[in-house]
Amino acid sequence: MNLRAFLAIIVCRCVKLAARILHRGGTAMPGRFAVKVCPDLPAILAKDVHIIMVTGTNGKTTTSRIVEQGLLDAGADCFANRSGANLLSGVTTLLVENSTLFGKAKHDCAVIECDEAAFRTVAPLVQPEVILVTNLFRDQLDRYGEITHTLTSIRDGILGVPGATVCLNADCSLTASLRDDIPNRCLFYGLGEALGGGKAPAISDASHCIRCKAEYQYKYRTYGHLGYFVCPECGYHRPDTDVTVTRLLGRDADSSTVEIETAELTRTVRINLPAEYNIYNAAGAATALMAFGMDAEAALKCAENFQCGFGRMEKFTLNGTDLRMILVKNPAGCNQVIEYLNGLEGEFLPVFLLNDNPADSTDISWIWDADYEKFAEHFSGEVVVSGIRADDMALRLKYAGVPADAIAVERDFDELIRRVTEQDRPVFLIPTYTAMLDLRGRLAHLCGTREFWE
Amino acid sequence: MKLEICHLYPDVLNLYGDNGNILCLQQRLAWRGIESSVTRLPIGESADFTKFDIFFIGGGQDFEQEVLLADLDRGKSAEIRAAIADGKTFLTICGGYQMLGRSYTTWDGVTCDFIGAIDFETVGAKERMIGNFAFQCGEESGGSVVVGFENHSGKTRLGPGVQPLGRVLSGFGNNGEDGGEGVRWNNVFGTYSHGPVLPKNPEFADAVLRTAIARKDPSFVLPALDDALENTAHDYMLHRLNL
Repeated sequence: MNLRAFLAIIVCRCVKLAARILHRGGTAMPGRFAVKVCPDLPAILAKDVHIIMVTGTNGKTTTSRIVEQGLLDAGADCFANRSGANLLSGVTTLLVENSTLFGKAKHDCAVIECDEAAFRTVAPLVQPEVILVTNLFRDQLDRYGEITHTLTSIRDGILGVPGATVCLNADCSLTASLRDDIPNRCLFYGLGEALGGGKAPAISDASHCIRCKAEYQYKYRTYGHLGYFVCPECGYHRPDTDVTVTRLLGRDADSSTVEIETAELTRTVRINLPAEYNIYNAAGAATALMAFGMDAEAALKCAENFQCGFGRMEKFTLNGTDLRMILVKNPAGCNQVIEYLNGLEGEFLPVFLLNDNPADSTDISWIWDADYEKFAEHFSGEVVVSGIRADDMALRLKYAGVPADAIAVERDFDELIRRVTEQDRPVFLIPTYTAMLDLRGRLAHLCGTREFWE
Repeated sequence: MKLEICHLYPDVLNLYGDNGNILCLQQRLAWRGIESSVTRLPIGESADFTKFDIFFIGGGQDFEQEVLLADLDRGKSAEIRAAIADGKTFLTICGGYQMLGRSYTTWDGVTCDFIGAIDFETVGAKERMIGNFAFQCGEESGGSVVVGFENHSGKTRLGPGVQPLGRVLSGFGNNGEDGGEGVRWNNVFGTYSHGPVLPKNPEFADAVLRTAIARKDPSFVLPALDDALENTAHDYMLHRLNL
C-alpha cells in the first residue's frame, strides 16, 4: 500500500472520530475526504474482499439486508453498509472502517448497496464478484434526468467489471435489457405468474420497447411495468428465469409464503416480510447468494428469519402503540405500500410524511403519479400528514377523495409522535427518506433502539 | 353542462405528476356539480377533435419523443392546429408545450419539426433548468401568481406577437433570459410548470376552466370553492421563494 492511501485512511478515521465527537452520523463525510487524498483508495481496500453489490431503483436496502442475513446464517465473515450511505463517499468510509490502518481487509466478504448514479464509478473501483440489479422505476428525476440515463449508468458500471456474475430482475424490461450490452454471465429471477393484482398501472414507467419503441404486450403483470412483457414488433421478451417464484401459497400482514423453483429444486419458502415487492427482494437476494456460490437450499432460506429494519417495514412499540414505518421514495414503491395498507384488517392510523430535501427528491410532483385514489377508495377515518411539504401531501389526499376535514396537518415531529402514540390503533408511518431518518432517530431514542451508525 | 376533456398521449407524456392536472380539472368541476369525462388518446388512436372542450398534453422523456413525432405526422398535427385555431382550450406542460411550437433543436444541432400551431421555437441547452419557481400570469390569463417546479433543458423563444403566459418572479421560465414564462395564444396555456401546476394554483385552474366554459355558456359564473388547503400549499411555496 502506498503512502497516499495510508494518509487517506488516517484522514478518514480522524474525520470519522470528529464526527462522532460532534454527534454527527459521519457515514459519508470521512470517505469524501479520503477519496480526495487518494482517489483509488476504494480499489486498494476492496482488493481482497469478495463483494456482492446491489443496485436498482427500489428494494436496494431490504435486498442487501436479506443477502447479508443469508451470508451471516451461513457463517460468513462479512460486513455491509447498513446505514444506506451508498455513494462513493459512504462506500469508502465503510471500506476504511473494515480494514486495518495499513489497508488490510478485516473481513472476507461484503454486501454493498450502491446508488444507481454512483454505480458507474463505484462498481469498477471495488470490482464486485456478484452484481444484483433489482429494478428500474422513475425516481428522483430532478437528480438523474431520465430513466434511460440511470440504465446507462448501470450498464457502464457493469462494463467495468466483466468478470462479475450479474443477477437481473427478468420481469423488468429495462433491467433485463442490460444483458444485451454486457459480456458477463447473467442469472435471471422473476415471478412465474401474476401473484397479486396484475392490473395495468395508470402510468407505466416503461410502456414502450427499449429496443424498437413498439408498445409492449403482457402475458401477465405483477406491479408497475413488471411482468411477462413481449414486444410484438422485435420480439424482445421477458427472459427465461433461473430462479422463479412459481406460486403464492399465503400471505398476511407480516409475511408471504411462496414456492420458488431453481434448476435443481423446488421449495416452499416463508418470507418474513409483507407485501409483494418483498417477494421480488427475497428472490433477488437468493439469486445473488447462489451466484456467490451458496447452494440453492440455503440461499432460498435467506429471508425466512429476516428482521426488517431501518425504516423498511420496521416495527416500534411506544407507550403500548404499535408503529410500523414504511419508507416510500417514488410512485411504484408508494403504490405497493397503498396495496399493502388496503389489504390490512381492522382500524389503523395512516401518517404520510413528505419532505423535499435533495435525498428525498426536491421535486415532489411524484406524489401525483402515485395511486392515492385507491387508498381513498378503501380507507375511511382520520389521516395525518406531516413533513416539510405536509400541505402538498394534504392537497394530494384531498384531490384523491379523502374528505378535507379528515386530513390533519401536524408539522412538528415530536408533537406528531406524542399524538400518534395516544392512539389505541396501530399506526403506519409512511415517510420519504429524510423524514424517515429524522423520525426514526426520535423513535429510536424513545424506544432505546440503537442508532444506525453505532 | 358537461365538459369533454381529451388527454393526449397519456401513454408517453406523463412525467412529473402531470396527470394531477386532469384530476384537478375534474374535481373542481365535480365539486361545482359540472359533469366531465376524460378521453385518453394514446399513440395510434384517433378521435373526433371537434367534440372536446379541453385538451391536455403533459411532459415526457426524450426517449419517447421520437415515437410521438411519427404519430403526429399521421394527422394529429393538423387536427391540433385546427382545434387551436377554433379557440379550444389547451393546457400543455413542458414537452407538450414545446410540441406546439415550430421546432426543437437539440444542443448538438439536430432539429425536429413540431406541430407549428404557434410561432415559437425551442433550443436545447446543456444545463437543465431545475427547481421551484413562480410567475405572474398576464391579465388575460387571470393575473394570479403561479408556483410550480420546472425541469427542462429546452430554451423557448416566442416569435413576434406571441405573448408569454406570465412573467417570471423566481426561477428560469422560458429561457432564463427574457423573463417570460410559457405561452398564451388564443385559448392555449403553455407552461414549464410541473408540480403539477393546477392543484395548488386554484385561481389559475379556474382561469383555464373559464375559457372552456365560456364557449359553452358565456353567462355561466363559476361558483367559488373552499380553497383553504390549496392556498396554504401555494403560499408556503411563495414563502420558500421569498416572495
